[in-house]
Amino acid sequence: MSNLAVNSNLLETLSVLILLSSFVLMANKRINSYIKTFRIQSFLIALAAGIMGLRSLMSEGRWDFLVVCLLIMILKVLYIPNMLNKTYKNVSYKVEKDFILNIPILVLLCCGLVVFSYFTLSGVDGISQDVLNMQLVNSVSVIWIGLLFMISRKKAIGQIIGFLVIENGLYITAMYSTQGMPFIVDLGIFIDLLTFVLIMGVMTFRINEKFDSIDTDQLNNLKG
Amino acid sequence: MELYVRNLFLMSVLLYVLGAAASALIYFFRKPDKTGMTGSFLVNAFCIVASGLGGAAAVAKILFAVNPLELINLSSAIPFISLEMNLDNLSAFFVLALSVLVFSVSIYSIGYLSHYNGKRNIGLFNLLYTMFILAMIGVLTSANTVCFYIFWEAMSLFSYFLVVFEAEKEENTKAGTVYIVMTHIATALLLIGFVIIYSYTKSFALNANTMAIPGIVKNIVFVLFLIGFGTKAGVIPLHIWLPHAHPAAPSNVSALMSGIMIKTAIYGLVRFVLCYLGIQNTWWGIVILILGVLSAVLGVAYALMEHNIKRLLAFHSVENIGIILIGLGVSFIAFAQHHQIVGGLALTAALLHTFNHTLFKGGLFLGAGAIQYAAHTKNIEDLGGLIKTMPLTALFVLCFSLAISAIVPFNGFVSEWLTYQSLFANILPEHIGLNFLAVLAVAALALTGALAAACFVKLFGISFLGLPRSEQAAKAQDVPATMTLGMGILAALCLGIGLFPLTMIKLLDKVVFSVGGGSIYGQLQGGFMLAYYPLTISVNSISPLAFILALGAIILLALIVIRIVGGKYIERRYGTWDCGFEALNSRMQYSATGFSKPIKIVFRALFRPVRKTIVEGDSMYHPESIMYSTTVTSIFEDYLYEPLYRALLRFSKRTKFRVQTGSIHNYLLYIFALVLLLMLYNRFA
Repeated sequence: MSNLAVNSNLLETLSVLILLSSFVLMANKRINSYIKTFRIQSFLIALAAGIMGLRSLMSEGRWDFLVVCLLIMILKVLYIPNMLNKTYKNVSYKVEKDFILNIPILVLLCCGLVVFSYFTLSGVDGISQDVLNMQLVNSVSVIWIGLLFMISRKKAIGQIIGFLVIENGLYITAMYSTQGMPFIVDLGIFIDLLTFVLIMGVMTFRINEKFDSIDTDQLNNLKG
Repeated sequence: MELYVRNLFLMSVLLYVLGAAASALIYFFRKPDKTGMTGSFLVNAFCIVASGLGGAAAVAKILFAVNPLELINLSSAIPFISLEMNLDNLSAFFVLALSVLVFSVSIYSIGYLSHYNGKRNIGLFNLLYTMFILAMIGVLTSANTVCFYIFWEAMSLFSYFLVVFEAEKEENTKAGTVYIVMTHIATALLLIGFVIIYSYTKSFALNANTMAIPGIVKNIVFVLFLIGFGTKAGVIPLHIWLPHAHPAAPSNVSALMSGIMIKTAIYGLVRFVLCYLGIQNTWWGIVILILGVLSAVLGVAYALMEHNIKRLLAFHSVENIGIILIGLGVSFIAFAQHHQIVGGLALTAALLHTFNHTLFKGGLFLGAGAIQYAAHTKNIEDLGGLIKTMPLTALFVLCFSLAISAIVPFNGFVSEWLTYQSLFANILPEHIGLNFLAVLAVAALALTGALAAACFVKLFGISFLGLPRSEQAAKAQDVPATMTLGMGILAALCLGIGLFPLTMIKLLDKVVFSVGGGSIYGQLQGGFMLAYYPLTISVNSISPLAFILALGAIILLALIVIRIVGGKYIERRYGTWDCGFEALNSRMQYSATGFSKPIKIVFRALFRPVRKTIVEGDSMYHPESIMYSTTVTSIFEDYLYEPLYRALLRFSKRTKFRVQTGSIHNYLLYIFALVLLLMLYNRFA
């Protein structure tokens, strides 16, 4: 019994830490630190998945969640950040101001988003029990912050990271509210993600080649 | 019996599907020339047999089966999407109209399509043609609104493709664009109506109970349906697509579009407003009646100004839809006030006119196609003297013209007579303002009839009589026998229904009774084929058969009297109207422009005619050539649609770069704001 309580405390802490990591991400100024923060966030998610996996292994004998944890480790902690680093090295030769609003305002907006998701979710039936509610609020806030991050950053890599953070948010929302999705769904999500990163990596490279910059503001010139 | 009817109907649908499949095969594996025509013959034969079966099934359904027949019921795993088709009396009546028309048009097409031979893929044409018919059958038999919507859209799309079939002409593609835009806006309104109804009844079925819908919502849905179906029907001021689309389409397709496709809108109004929503307010009927009067008078007025045969006929469709709507409006008024007998009478009149219009307007478009086939022009001013080269076509067009002008003994007279009767019957002591409207409607209907007759005197007189006005008209050859046969069947039906109207009224009586109108058949007096009139207005009765016999007798008598009084004839043969000049040519004839000029002057306020005279020569008293041209302003296009279109264009141009900035951050911001709003909505809903 006490074991379970420790587990949920750990999960609670991790959920808050994941939220905190997205705040950190929003406060980052340089592209290489985005990638680092993303790596940390993914690591926290992998930890949460690992804890859930251990619990389900002990109580029900299911091992698939541990495999998911491993996959997150490989994909989101190692492969994707490395790949993004490589893309970044290929294209980065200018350091310029990357964000549209300044950092303090963005962080304040993030705080507002957390309050907003608390406000909107508190009215939904069936998730208002206290434990689940806070975890869910944290996870949904991560989605919002990811979207805001995409809006606030000019460079294509910022958009990729923002998208990945949205994906992280969705993933932990699902994970925390279902306590483990079917394995096949998890696999599907990962394959989607992998494809996205591959395509975006290539695209960024090509955009850079074409426009001498990965500043997405320049896409304006494409309008007819 | 029910089973037989069902099987008969399904067999007919199956034959149409086979026809479509066959034409698809011809389309994909075509060889030019020979196979095209054989294939076309085959497909049309399929359609002829199928429409024969379908018509028989429809008649059998109305006469022998009381309850609606379930034809097809395929439910799918996706919620709400299930193919349900029912055949009740109302559907069966419209299917009958469709089948009769398809039967003769398909016979006609065998000959008519030969002018496409080698130039176009006839397989493609036949594929679209059969799919169009199938879609219309689907519209008429759908048992839920989802099915109805899908078939309705399919019908619009297939007819669009048929309108732009000769796409190399720029005016055809433009006509198609006007048509597709109008029809899509209308369909969108219908969809909104269906969804509103669903939100209250929680069912898409057409026999769902609509009691749960509050009155104000019913009013909104009625307006949506009226605009939606009104656009398809071509009610003024939503008619603008009609005079563009009908001339652009090949003639056999115009016959179908004008003959039956615009009638599906009448079906929709009866089905959705009368049967489904239930008449709630008297003003529903009044609005329909006023629209009907407007369409009838303005439709025929614009028709008079047209010199393109098919545009002229298209405006006559507007007029006839107006007459149908007058009947429908009266019946809605009567039903709203629980006068079931008057309502039944008016609905019978409206549906009978629908059927009659299918016959004679279908026939007229076939006739216009025959003229175009023979003389290669649609302009009346270039025709003339065709009665000598194509006597049978001339005879049939004359029959249709008499029918559409509501002249005894043709069918148009019967339904207009019933419409008059229903208008008179609707004059009741308790309606104060309504009586005024009814009297006005009677006057308008009378005006419409007279103007229509004038218009068809012009059409027939200028194109068939006199001397040919152009080279092409002089070289015109008679059309293939199948084309004549197709028109002949329709002409025979026009005359048959005119002489023996009770056969049709007996069928209609069951239809009207099934949708809640009072049965009027029992109250008709005068035996099977002679007189018919409702008992309630006992002074009014007329019998076309007796009328025509009396007319014949009078003429015969007059001839005899003349013979007796005047003695022997002296016969001389020389050029009529010649007066010894002996060099009459076609340029000395009355022209269509000249014929319609007096009416143009009388209705100057409406037409706003513009005329231009260019005199060339050393002085205006000694001209070498005079160019005279006159045009009529079309009020609705110039003062309603044109400003609307320009405003929309201006607005779009101005906002284009404000909303569509091209910046990825803006687009993301839109998504962000929308999701925020949705979350808030979810919180408070």
